[in-house]
Amino acid sequence: MEKEIQYVKNGKRLDGRGLEDLRKLKIEAGVISKADGSCYLEWGQNKVFASVYGPREALPKHIQNPYKALVDYQYRMATFSVPDRKNPKPGRREIEIGKVSGEALEKAIFLERFPNTTIDVYVEILDSNAGTRVAALTAASVALADAGIPMRDMVSAVGVGKAGGEIILDLNKDEEDAPDAVDIPIAILPRTEEVVLLQMDGLLTKEEWKKAFKLGVKGCKQVFEMQKEALRKKYLEAEKETAETENIEMMGD
Amino acid sequence: MKKKIVIPGELVSEERKKVGQHVFVENGKIFSDSLGLTYADSDFASVVPLHGKYLPQREDLIVGIVAQETFGGYLVDINSFYFSFVSKEFIRERLQKGSIISAKILSVNEINEAELGNVRVFYGGEIVSISPVKVPRVIGKNASMMEALKKGTASNILVGRNGRIWAKGGDIPLLLKAIKKIEEESHLSNLTKKIEHFLEEQKKEN
Amino acid sequence: MANDILMELQTGKIIELMKQGKRIDGRALDEYRKLEIFHNISQNAEGSARVKLGETEVVAGVKMVPGDPFPETPAEGSISVGAEFLPLSSPTFESGPPGPEETELARVVDRGIRESKCLNFEDLCIKEKEKVWIAFIDMYTINFDGNLFDACSIAAMSALMQAKVPKLDKEYRIVKGEYSGKLELHRKPLLSTFSKIAGQIVVDTNFAEEKATEARFSVATTEDNYMAAFQKGLSGSFSGKEIDDCIELAFKKAKEIRKHL
Repeated sequence: MEKEIQYVKNGKRLDGRGLEDLRKLKIEAGVISKADGSCYLEWGQNKVFASVYGPREALPKHIQNPYKALVDYQYRMATFSVPDRKNPKPGRREIEIGKVSGEALEKAIFLERFPNTTIDVYVEILDSNAGTRVAALTAASVALADAGIPMRDMVSAVGVGKAGGEIILDLNKDEEDAPDAVDIPIAILPRTEEVVLLQMDGLLTKEEWKKAFKLGVKGCKQVFEMQKEALRKKYLEAEKETAETENIEMMGD
Repeated sequence: MKKKIVIPGELVSEERKKVGQHVFVENGKIFSDSLGLTYADSDFASVVPLHGKYLPQREDLIVGIVAQETFGGYLVDINSFYFSFVSKEFIRERLQKGSIISAKILSVNEINEAELGNVRVFYGGEIVSISPVKVPRVIGKNASMMEALKKGTASNILVGRNGRIWAKGGDIPLLLKAIKKIEEESHLSNLTKKIEHFLEEQKKEN
Repeated sequence: MANDILMELQTGKIIELMKQGKRIDGRALDEYRKLEIFHNISQNAEGSARVKLGETEVVAGVKMVPGDPFPETPAEGSISVGAEFLPLSSPTFESGPPGPEETELARVVDRGIRESKCLNFEDLCIKEKEKVWIAFIDMYTINFDGNLFDACSIAAMSALMQAKVPKLDKEYRIVKGEYSGKLELHRKPLLSTFSKIAGQIVVDTNFAEEKATEARFSVATTEDNYMAAFQKGLSGSFSGKEIDDCIELAFKKAKEIRKHL
C-alpha cells in the first residue's frame, strides 16, 4: 500500500514552510545591457530572464494601433528547464501564458502615450519548479520599470492554491501533484488591488476561494515589496548624489 | 531639496501641487509613473526617470541623426520614441541618411513628437550614446566636466540633452572610456577631479 | 532601426582604427574580453553553465535522454546540438524557428564535439540495439555583444563537464534524482573564431566589430593539439597564410580559455 503523503502537518509543509510562506525570492534589475529594460529572477528553483524592448515602431504597419501601444509578451522555456527535455518549439501552453500575461501588463502601462508602437516583452525560463508564469510576470514588470516605460503601478504575481486540504501560498511542484491540488496564479496592481491575471486549475468551493483570494493578495504584496527593493537597490547610489549637479546649464561648443 | 527614489505607482504627494513630468493624478493624489527621483517638499511635483529614452522638451539642444528624407524635410532620430521632423527651409545643406545635426526643440505635442529648428550640420566625427539622465553629469557644473573631457582627449565635443554626444578628433577611444567611467560613477563626489586624473594617467600610458 | 544608423557610424570608425592596428575598446588584436563561467545554473538540466565574455552572455544546458540507436550504429549513443538567438538578447533578433545563423553555429559546435571524440559514443550505449543515451546540448543567447561562436562553445563544454548520467530503471525510464556518474569527456574541444576587418585579423569581436567583419574563420582545437572542425563564414576571403596564422593562435587561445573551464 502506498504511503499517503501528508502535505501539511502541524502547520508545516513538505519543504518546512508555513502555509503563508513564499519560497526564497531574489530579483535583480538591469542585467541585459542590450535590452531597454531587463530583470533576472530566482524564485524557489525557478530561474527567469526577462527583457523589454520599446516602445518601438510596430511592424508590419497594418498591426499598428493609432490610439495606443501594443504589448507583445513572449513566454518561452529552455529545453533543459524541465525534468524531461522540452521540445524547443513553443507549445500551446506557452502561447496561452503569453496572451494572458501580456494582457495583465496592458492594464498597468500608459499605452495611450505611445500610439503606433509595440512594447516587446520576452521571458525565458531556465529552470522550473511550479509557478513559472507568475515568476515570469513578476520579472517582466521589473524589466518594464527598468526600461523607463511609464506605468500606473507595478504588476505583482503569485501562485496560491490548495494541497492536503489546506489553502497555501506559492505551491511547489510536489504540492501541485497532490490529489486535491488547486493552482491559482494571480496578479494584481498592488496599489489598488485590481486583479489583472487570474487562472485556476482544480476544484474549489466559494469559501475556499475567499480564503485563497485574501492570501493571494497578501502574497502579491509581499512580492511587490521585493520588486520595489530590487529597483531601488539599482539606483540607491543616485540618492546620495549631491546638489552639485542641479541647475546645470547646457553649453554648446 | 530632498530627493527620493520612487517606482511606478508610488505616492509622490498627497497634497495639491503643480504637476510636472512623469507623474499622474488619481483621487486627488500625485503618483509617479516611472522609476526615478522625485523632489519632495517643493510646491511642484515631478519625477526624473533614471532610465529610458529621451523625452523631448522645448528649448533643449539635441544631437540627432538623419534617418530618412521626406518631401518637405527630414525625419531625425533623436533617441526618443518617435523620429522628429525638421523642415528643409531650416537647412541650407543637403542631408542624407546618417547625417549628424544639432538642433533646438521648437515644439512638442501631446504624444511627445518634436519639431526641430536652429539646425547645424556636422561633418565627420562620431556619436556616443549615454542615458539622457546622465547628461548633466557629463556636462558638469559650469561645464567643468565637459571642459575636462575636451582637454584630456583633445577632442571637439558637443553634448545633446537627448543623451547623444558628438565628438571629433583627438583620442576617441580614451573619450569613450572616460564617458563610461562617468556613467558608472555618476553618484560619487569630486568626479570631475577623478576624470581629470584618469585622463592624465591614460595619456602617460600611451 | 535607430540603432542601425548608430551602427553605421561606428563601423566607419572601427575600420579607420583597424587600419592603424587599433581597436575601438583599446584591446590588442589577439586579446579576448573578460571571461566568467558559472556552473549548474539549472537544476533540471543534467549539466548547465552560464558564460559571460565581455558583455556577451550565453547559457547552455545538457539533457540526457534515453533513445533508440541508429540502425547503422546499434551500440552507439549520440549528441544533438541546438542554438537559439533569443529576441530577449538583442534588439536585432526576431522570434521564430532557428534561422541560418543559429543553425550554422549549432552545427559547428556539434562538429567540434563530435569529431574530436570528446564523448565516446560507445560509452553512451545502454543496451545494444535497444537503448542509447542522446546528450542534447541546447544553447541560448542572453545578451548579444558579439562572438557567439566562442561563447557558446565555452558554455557547451562547461555544461558537458558538469553533466551527470541519470540512473535508469528496468524499463529504461529515468529514476528521478539518481545518477550513475558523470559523463566522461576524453577531450575538451573549444572554438576560436577569427574575424577579418580592414585587412586585420582579430579575435573576440564585439557587436560593433561584427558589423564591420568581412570574413570569419572558426576552428575547434583540442588540448592534445588536434583540430576537429573548421568553418569559414561571411562573404570575404582568407589567404592560406592567414588561415595558418589563425590556427596557430587558436591553439594558444583555446589553451588559455581551457584553464577557466
